[in-house]
Amino acid sequence: MDLLNIINNLLKIIGDWIYGLVHGLVGNLLVTDLITMGLAAIILCTFAALSFMGLTYAERKIVARIQDRIGPNQAGPFGLLVPIADGIKMFTKEDTTPTAADRWVYNIAPLVIATAALTAYAVLPLAPGVVGTNLNVGVVFTIAIGSGSVVAILMAGWGSNNKYALLGAFRTVAQLIGYEVPMLLNLIPVVLIAGSLSLVDIVNVQSTLNGSPGIPFVLYFPVSALIFLISGIAETARSPFDLLEAESEIVAGFHVEYSGMKFALFFLGEYVNALAVSFMFATLFLGGYNGPIFPPYVWLLIKAAAVFTILMWLRGTLPRIRVDQMHTMNWKFFVPISALNLIILLLVAKIFQPGNAAMPWVTPGVQAMATAITTLIPFLAGLSIASRRLRSQRDAAEALAETRRAANRAAVTTSMGGAH
Amino acid sequence: METAVRTDFGFVGVMFVTAFLLMAATLYAASLLRPKKPNKEKLSTYECGMETVGDTWVQFRSQYYIFALVFVLFDVEVLLLFPIAVAFGSLSLFATLQAMLFVVILLAALLFAWRKGVLEWK
Amino acid sequence: MTITLQTIIFALLSVVVLGSALFVVTTRNLFHAALMLILSFFGVAGLYVLLESGFFAVAQVLVYIGAISILFIFAVMLTRGMVAMPRVNAQAQLAALVSVLLFVVIVVIVNPTALSIKVLPGASERVLGGIPWQFTTVTTITDSYIKQFGASLVDGSAYLLPFLLAAVLLDIALAGAVQVARERRPAEVLAERELMAAEAAEEQQREQALDTAPETVLAADHH
Repeated sequence: MDLLNIINNLLKIIGDWIYGLVHGLVGNLLVTDLITMGLAAIILCTFAALSFMGLTYAERKIVARIQDRIGPNQAGPFGLLVPIADGIKMFTKEDTTPTAADRWVYNIAPLVIATAALTAYAVLPLAPGVVGTNLNVGVVFTIAIGSGSVVAILMAGWGSNNKYALLGAFRTVAQLIGYEVPMLLNLIPVVLIAGSLSLVDIVNVQSTLNGSPGIPFVLYFPVSALIFLISGIAETARSPFDLLEAESEIVAGFHVEYSGMKFALFFLGEYVNALAVSFMFATLFLGGYNGPIFPPYVWLLIKAAAVFTILMWLRGTLPRIRVDQMHTMNWKFFVPISALNLIILLLVAKIFQPGNAAMPWVTPGVQAMATAITTLIPFLAGLSIASRRLRSQRDAAEALAETRRAANRAAVTTSMGGAH
Repeated sequence: METAVRTDFGFVGVMFVTAFLLMAATLYAASLLRPKKPNKEKLSTYECGMETVGDTWVQFRSQYYIFALVFVLFDVEVLLLFPIAVAFGSLSLFATLQAMLFVVILLAALLFAWRKGVLEWK
Repeated sequence: MTITLQTIIFALLSVVVLGSALFVVTTRNLFHAALMLILSFFGVAGLYVLLESGFFAVAQVLVYIGAISILFIFAVMLTRGMVAMPRVNAQAQLAALVSVLLFVVIVVIVNPTALSIKVLPGASERVLGGIPWQFTTVTTITDSYIKQFGASLVDGSAYLLPFLLAAVLLDIALAGAVQVARERRPAEVLAERELMAAEAAEEQQREQALDTAPETVLAADHH
């Protein structure tokens, strides 16, 4: 029992031990605080950077398997040393700054994107009592800090003084700001039930709710969870939303001029953001570190890894979507459906609020069922309307092409007949 | 298990500074390790393999501006919904209806933009 | 006034905010101006943190850096000659006057001398090593201020009307911008040009008519 307790609270115990150690050495509370905060920040950054290396390898291997390839297999056993080889290459590759570039803007952009991506980890609850800082606005903070990447991308695009880079940056930013809207809209349902913007509170609500066993929010809001995940993928600009690096159109998007370590920082920003989205999804909708048997931090890692696997799966399977399709899907489907969902949810969650004296049979479970069902219906209806409209549009385009082909064929036949 | 944790922005500041310094250190380390043999060709803008024609910093289309404007509208309005969502548990039905009305106004703006055709990407 | 960690951070943030704001108005490169404006906004977010209102700090970052600045940069890309703008224009003096007036109004309304500097009870326990984290407070701010803020937004006796009006105002802003900046189809542009040409022709005809027979027409008008 005691051992179990130690394993479950391992992170907390180590943290307290380090704090005590530093306090014993320094004595001053302020300095102790600063040192331990700095250590925690370094540990978090290192964790993110190491998981970046691990994820690049895992992604290559898994996507390769999905596409019936072998993937990296030369450097080390099973190609395990590939991330290290990558690192050596990134460190020793010559780094050019184009003469035409806007030097300061060009050089700071990768720093901005990496810093913004890493800072998001400051509010992530890793285990009970283990969190960088339990901000009472944690949810909005994680989205707000994402603005850093938007600014960095614009800086990179402008600073490169390259037409492809600037075009790529503008495209990317239009995509990022567009998909931020459904992301924010689908966070609100979670906050409605949790009654707090703190990530720790949101996790706690999912473990126990008014005395009854907690329900992960994915069961409350399956539609919101789905839209949040998809817009999260779009937010990190990963496949199938990787329009920014459409090689055939704009070479590699906003980072076309970057090489060496600066490019690596953009790459790191992308992966760290994708991992942050996985962690956020696990925390907001899957109950965070809650789970039976295993220690909390293991549960969090399992859940985040599962979400990231879905991201890799999508990357290995889906083709890149077109820019107009992407915007249409966002502004004409996700945003209206999310807003509609929100209107319904406000009403339904209010009517089926547990603790109402007139309706004692309403428990959190009943509330969850009500919200899930009432949001699924308009979503499915919207989906079927959208698919029917798209199909009829496609059929019309097909029919038009067919008549043109027939006309061409007829014209060719008659002209050939005339030649005879 | 309830334990006291930090709740202020101090750690955010420390995290921000640490991340910035770590990344800057990485860039600096790389600048010591890598070769530096620039030449004119290498430092030219990578566009088509030919001399770049014309300015990059030119006028862009106004559609980006409209998209950003629609985004600003939604961003501000959604942000105002967050505190209401926090207070949701103790709101009266009347207050909830007002919040719904707010979302309806938001939706109306979207439908207006949709009807005007500014949501089409061309 | 004692020097605390807060005053040091406040001084640093002020330098960042004012310095970058100065850069914004003096640079000739509009894009650099926009970037420096972002830095200034960021510093203001820091000031909100010092005032213990985390929600507004985050709102500042989300709305001003994440949305308004992007809008500015997109607007910069709509201008011509964005890397070498004139430093002053015809409205500079007017702008200076308005800024000074605004400053005076803010000082009069806020009245800093009336602000009581008091440290909240239990403030020294709010970490950062025994140094009180509070800076200045007018009213007691607790962690539930977000909840109070949200409740008062939809409370009929509090801020319900401004709240809904803000939504309507944003709608109107969008409608206006769409009307002005909308990219029109070539056919629409052509139709508009034709209409203008027709109007111009009509105008010309009327003028010609006036030129040829001024007295009779004027006489007819007078009756």
